[in-house]
Amino acid sequence: MAPAEEVGGEFPVGMKVLVVDDDPTCLAVLKRMLLECRYDATTCSQATKALTMLRENRRGFDVIISDVHMPDMDGFRLLELVGLEMDLPVIMMSADSRTDIVMKGIKHGACDYLIKPVRMEELKNIWQHVVRKKFNENKEHEYSGSLDDTDRTRPTNNDNEYASSANDGADGSWKSQKKKRDKDEDDGELESGDPSSTSKKPRVVWSVELHQQFVNAVNHLGIDKAVPKKILELMNVPGLTRENVASHLQKFRLYLKRIAQHHAGIANPFCPPGSSAKVGSLGGLDLQALAASGQIPPQALAALQDELLGRPTNNLVLPGRDQSALRLAAVKGNKPHGEREIAFGQPIYKCQSNAYAAFPQSSPTIGGMPSFSAWPNNKLGMADSTGTLGSMSNSQNSNIVLHELQQQPDAMLSGTLHSLDVKPSGIVMPSQSLNTFSASEGLSPNQNPLMLPSQSSSFLVAMPPSMKHEPVLANSQPSTSLLDGIDLVNQASTSQPLINTHGGNLPALVNRSSNVIPSQGISTFQTANNPYLVSQNSMGVGSKQQPGVLKTENSDSLSHSYGYIGGSAPMDSGLLISQSKNTQFGLLQSQDGLTGSWSPLQNVDNYGNTIGLSHPGSSSSSFQSSNVALGKLPDQGRGKNHGFVGKGTCISSRFAVDEIESPTNNLSHGIGSSGDIMSPDFFGFSGQM
Amino acid sequence: MAAAPLREQLSALLSSMFSQGLVDEQFEQLQMLQDEGGTPGFVAEVVTLFCDDAERIIAEIATLLEQPIVSFDKVDAFVHQLKGSSASVGAQKVKFTCMQFRQFCQEKSRDGCLMALAVVRNEFYDLRNKFQTMLQLEQQIQAYDPKQQ
Repeated sequence: MAPAEEVGGEFPVGMKVLVVDDDPTCLAVLKRMLLECRYDATTCSQATKALTMLRENRRGFDVIISDVHMPDMDGFRLLELVGLEMDLPVIMMSADSRTDIVMKGIKHGACDYLIKPVRMEELKNIWQHVVRKKFNENKEHEYSGSLDDTDRTRPTNNDNEYASSANDGADGSWKSQKKKRDKDEDDGELESGDPSSTSKKPRVVWSVELHQQFVNAVNHLGIDKAVPKKILELMNVPGLTRENVASHLQKFRLYLKRIAQHHAGIANPFCPPGSSAKVGSLGGLDLQALAASGQIPPQALAALQDELLGRPTNNLVLPGRDQSALRLAAVKGNKPHGEREIAFGQPIYKCQSNAYAAFPQSSPTIGGMPSFSAWPNNKLGMADSTGTLGSMSNSQNSNIVLHELQQQPDAMLSGTLHSLDVKPSGIVMPSQSLNTFSASEGLSPNQNPLMLPSQSSSFLVAMPPSMKHEPVLANSQPSTSLLDGIDLVNQASTSQPLINTHGGNLPALVNRSSNVIPSQGISTFQTANNPYLVSQNSMGVGSKQQPGVLKTENSDSLSHSYGYIGGSAPMDSGLLISQSKNTQFGLLQSQDGLTGSWSPLQNVDNYGNTIGLSHPGSSSSSFQSSNVALGKLPDQGRGKNHGFVGKGTCISSRFAVDEIESPTNNLSHGIGSSGDIMSPDFFGFSGQM
Repeated sequence: MAAAPLREQLSALLSSMFSQGLVDEQFEQLQMLQDEGGTPGFVAEVVTLFCDDAERIIAEIATLLEQPIVSFDKVDAFVHQLKGSSASVGAQKVKFTCMQFRQFCQEKSRDGCLMALAVVRNEFYDLRNKFQTMLQLEQQIQAYDPKQQ
C-alpha cells in the first residue's frame, strides 16, 4: 500500500500496521479498530510467521503491534528481533498491566505498551511512534544527504523506507528515507553535502555491509571502548552520523546481552566437549561462545580468548572456550537459534581464535581468537553441520543465507579449522561469521566474508576472500589446514581481528581470513545482534590491515560475523553478510607479500575478493600462503571470490583447489576439501576462485 | 413494523447486560464500530470468536486442574489468555473473574482454582446465552428490515 502519505496525502492514513497476537478475538477487534483509524492493518497470529513476513518485506510495514504472551515466541523476543533487524517501532500489548512487565517491554525497546482492552484513542495515536522514529533517524543523518524537497516525492519511498537492502550501499539506505519524513519540515535542515545525492535524511538502513563495518569498528575498538565517535571514524562511511552509530550501538549492546543470556542457556549443542575435531569442539565452543558472548562481558571474552589461545587446543574446541568461538560456534548454527542474536558474529571471532589457538602454531598473538576454532569446528553450521552457517541463516534469512552460505562455508571452515589444528579457521571465520550473520541477519553468514561477492557491501568489501576460503575449509573441516589458511588470513588482516588471529599459526591463513573478521574486539559484539556483527569485519578490512598483524582480536569480529548465523538468528543475513565480508577481508589482509607482509585485507572487494592473500605462493609459512590466499582474494579480479561463495559454503572447493600452498599446514581446507585452506590459493583467490 | 418489538427486546437485553456489568464500554465501542463504521456483522464475528475461544480455554483449564499434579503456570497462562480475550470483547464480568482466578493460580491452590473455574464457567455461559439471544434478535430484525437496524 502506498505509504501513508501517499494516500490522499494525509498522514497517517494508510499507515501499515502489523498486529501479532495469538488471541483471535483481540486480533479481530484490533484489526477493525485500526481500519477505523484508516490504517492499513495486517494481522498475524503467529510470531514466527510475522517475522517471516517482515523479513521478506521490510518496508511493508510501518509499525508492529505485538502481544506479549504468545505460544510460539515470546513477545519480547519478537520485539528485539524486529528492532534489530528491521528497526521498526514495536508496540507491546497485553492484558497484563503489571509494572514490571511493562518495564520489561520498555527495556526491550518497545515504543509503547498498551493494556488490553486496547481502545480506539490509543490506536489513533500510534502513528506518533512511526514519525518519531523516522524523525530521530533523520536527525542522525544530518550530515547525510540533504532532504531536498524533490526527494520527498521520491516515489520509491514506500518501498525503501525501511530499506534494509543488505546489499545496498549506504547510499541506498539513505535514499530510502521515509516519505513520512518528507512531511516533516526537517527536511530542509538536513541538507548536507552528503554524497548520497539528494537523499533526504533517510533513516539509515543497517545493511549487512554497514553493520559489518560497524561490527568491525567495534571489534577493533573493543566493546568497552567503542564509542560512537570513534566507531564513526573507523567506519568512515559518508553520510553516517554519530547519532546513527550511537543508536545502533545501543541496540547492538542490547543484542549482545541478550545473546549472551540466550547462549548461556544453551548448552553446547554443538560440540561435544572435547570433541576435538572440528565440529564437535567447535560446537561446544560455540555454545560457550555464545553463552559467553552474551553474558560474558568483553573483558571476559577477551580472557576467554586468551585462554583459548593459550590452550593447546585440543580440539580447538576452544580451549578456553573462547568466547568468541563459543559465540561463533553458537552462532554458527550450532545453536539453531532462532534468533539471530547469535549471529552477531561473535562466534565468528571466537572461532577463529580458537582455530588458532588450537593450532599450536597459532600464535597466541592472534588475538586470542580462540574461539575460532571452536567455532569452525562446530561447523558453524556451515560447512559441516548443516552448513548451519549458511543454513542457519537460511532458515533465518534464507535469502541472504544463500549468499552467505557461500560465505559460510568459510565460516564453517574456519570453525572447523580450529579443530583441525590449523584450522584456517581464521579464514573460515569470516565465513563463519558470515554465517552467523546470516543467521541472524539472515544474511547468511555464509557470506564468507571473503566470498561475499554479492555483497557488494561497500563497507565490507574487504571481506577477505580468504574468508571465503575458510569456509570452505571449514566445510571440510577437519582440515586444519583451513585454519592454517585462515590464520594466514587472520594474520593478514592485521587489524582485523578477524578470525584469523587464531593462533596465527594457521598457515593456512585460513584463519587469516578471520582476521578479516572484525577482530575488532568484536567479541563482545558477538552477543549482540548479529546484524551488527556483520560489519565487524568490515572494520578490519578497511582499517589498517596491519600486515601480519593478525589481530586475532578480530576474531571476535569475525565471530561477530554474526556467524551467529548458524543460530538461525534472525539476523538478517544481510548484516551478516556484510560482516562476513569484512571479516573475510580482514583475513586476507595479510600478507602482501606473503612473506609476512600481509597486505591489508581490504582487498576484498567483495568481501572476499580482496582478501587477496595474494601471496599464496610465497608463503613460506603456510600462514602466508594462506594469507595470500585469503588476502588474495583475488580480489577483485578474482571475482572468484565469489566463487567461493558460490561454492556454496564449501569453500572447500576453493581451498581444495588451491592447493593450499601453504606448505605448512594444511590448512587443508579442511573445509570443504581436505585441502588446506591455507594455501593462499586456497581461497582460490589466488587466482582460483 | 414487525421488527419493532424485536428491537425493543434487543434494546432491553443490551441494557440489562450493561447494567449488570456483563459487558462494559469496550463492548460499546465494538457496537459503535459496527454501526457507525458500516461493518455489519462485526459484533457477531467478534462475539463468536470469543465464545469459541473461551470455550476451548475453559476446557483446557479444566483438564489441567484434573491432573494429579497441577501445573499452575499453565493454568495461569490460560487464564491470562481468557482475560485478554474477554477484555477485548468487553466481557467485563468474565474478565473480573479471571483476575480473581489468577490469584488462586499464584497461590497454587487447586481448590481455589477449581472454585474460580466454576465461577468463570458460569459467568461465561451466562454471557454466552445473552450473546446468542442478542445475535438471534439481530438476525430476526434484519430479516424484517434488511437494512441493518
